[in-house]
Amino acid sequence: MSGAASSAPASGLRIPAPGVVIPLAAIAASFVVGFALMALTGSNIGAAIGAFAQGAFGSAYAIGTSLNRAVALGLVGLGFILAERANLINVGGEGQIAMGGIFSTAVALYGGVKGLPYGLAVLLPLLAGTLAGAAWGALAGVMKIRFGTNEVISTLLLNFIAILLVYWSVQSVHLLRQPASFAGTLPQSLQVPPSTTLPLLTGNPADPLHIGAAVAVVLAIVTALVLRRSAFGLRLKAIGLSPTASHRAGIRTDALMVSVLALSGAFGGLAGAMMLLGDQGYLTAGFSSGYGFDGLVVGLLARGSAAGVAAVAIFFGFLRSGGISMQISAHVPAALVTIVQGMIVVAIAGSAILIERMGRRA
Amino acid sequence: MNLETLAVYIASTLHFALPLMLAASGELVSEAAGVLNLSLEGMMLFAAFFSVWGTSVTGDPWIGLLWGIASGIVFAILQAVLSVRLRANQLVVGIGLNILALGATTFLNREIFGALSRQLVPGFGHLHIPGLSTLPLLGPSLFQQDLVVYVGLALIVAIWFVLRFTAYGVACRAVGDDPRSADWAGISVTRVRSIAILVTGAMAGVAGTLISVGDIRTFTEGMTNGAGYLAIAAIIFGGWRLWPTVGACLLFGGAMALQFQFSAATSPVPTAALLMLPYVLALLSVAGLVGRQVPPAALTIPFFGSR
Repeated sequence: MSGAASSAPASGLRIPAPGVVIPLAAIAASFVVGFALMALTGSNIGAAIGAFAQGAFGSAYAIGTSLNRAVALGLVGLGFILAERANLINVGGEGQIAMGGIFSTAVALYGGVKGLPYGLAVLLPLLAGTLAGAAWGALAGVMKIRFGTNEVISTLLLNFIAILLVYWSVQSVHLLRQPASFAGTLPQSLQVPPSTTLPLLTGNPADPLHIGAAVAVVLAIVTALVLRRSAFGLRLKAIGLSPTASHRAGIRTDALMVSVLALSGAFGGLAGAMMLLGDQGYLTAGFSSGYGFDGLVVGLLARGSAAGVAAVAIFFGFLRSGGISMQISAHVPAALVTIVQGMIVVAIAGSAILIERMGRRA
Repeated sequence: MNLETLAVYIASTLHFALPLMLAASGELVSEAAGVLNLSLEGMMLFAAFFSVWGTSVTGDPWIGLLWGIASGIVFAILQAVLSVRLRANQLVVGIGLNILALGATTFLNREIFGALSRQLVPGFGHLHIPGLSTLPLLGPSLFQQDLVVYVGLALIVAIWFVLRFTAYGVACRAVGDDPRSADWAGISVTRVRSIAILVTGAMAGVAGTLISVGDIRTFTEGMTNGAGYLAIAAIIFGGWRLWPTVGACLLFGGAMALQFQFSAATSPVPTAALLMLPYVLALLSVAGLVGRQVPPAALTIPFFGSR
């Protein structure tokens, strides 16, 4: 039957470490297509690459911006692989970022935190954003265990709702919109007080890299340890492999599913809070601007490893920054970066079966 | 609300619901056969762009519709090769294809029409159904639709007929519920599933065309804005049955139409709440507002041959 017809696409081919080589080949192929598209549109490739390099790592400022971007993507990616371990796909990063942004703004502006000592002025808004993201993730978990709702669908729909909640928050003066006493109020929040913004890592304003980078590194290490060494990590793996068997073995699968989706959402919420307090400084419609979806791709490509998340997040951080700069100075649409990202995901998903077969043969 | 605004509201509900109905009934064929296409969103977006391009090149919206359908099918071939042939994770493939569709259509739109272009293409002509269209009140709003609306409704009936009364419809359900037995009975799981995905692509093509050429007569970046996900939610709400799914689409369409019932200044409800309503309804419906639904047993599970 058809199964036999397509079962030996690469017999005789021997590739060392197919789990690494094939994804790298997929990424390389996607880039080749990206360059081909660039050439087809008649762009000056030299100028485009120059603009890309300048925007991605041409100055301390560019590097800091790229790494800050990587921090947000990496946090979403870490959340993704945690849930993935339990065979749950959290596609809700975008919405969780949005919720984190709303609640960190609210607490930073109106929570009375700006004069608090011991860093509480920053920590409380961060905590609020994290909890909001966690609640948004937990909602999908509760729907899953109570009604059997597929978490992919629920988190996707929750994205749209959260993005519109941001819009609502900055449209209404009763919520977070700047007060109407200003001449011509804009549909955005006030700037958060300086004491609530994330401290810069070097203290030098020319280098925008903020303390979130250090936090993200610590969280990546903790995530790796939790997944590999802790009982929690092992239980996640168990329910990922078989919820029924885990339940019989005495694991509280329902509670664990809700917790891990909440935890996954918390990472998204923290990412949103850091984007707001470390970078943008005020809430505006479209604030999450695709970071959640990029972070999702980071998680997908990391293949369950926290180190993988770090590597892909940094790669995508530079890729996005370079893409934006390419659009501004070399007039190459940044959508090219989106195309390359989409192709990478599709190519790697499509080659999973190859990797599995070769892994088995080796 | 007087009768006249009610008639307008009903027409507007149908207007917003029809693309969802087409996409959902096409997707239902795939899901009956055991394949979940999250890429429905991308198929619609792809068709929304290509139908505008085709209409702009040829000046004929009907040829634009063919471009839309063809582009939906091309996109569906990608999904079919990946999820049926290569047995890739259907959810991951869907997400990847949607990112690709967003990037590709945005890129093409900027290359062909320019980032800020709102160039209008010719729309579909109206068809006045003799007799009915002159009925008082409801006549003009319900029976003077674009001709393509009737084509769309006919396609949904055709899907119903195929699923209900043809051997292919039976094969779809067999493959979606128990692929192994279907395989033993001599049905090619690969072929049934692949064809189902192409049907989904064609229907998504018509749906995407309605959203662009059939509505605002131009393309805007990311213009499907989750319509594909709403269609998937409608299938869950409808319990994987065609007419209840169509009903769910009408409900979501009615929620979308509400935002045009109130002018922004005098609206008693914030615009954001009205914009959010379809997604909230969809979320409530997938949360089993109507009780737990039973999907086809093999939904999202790749078939690994009969060995």
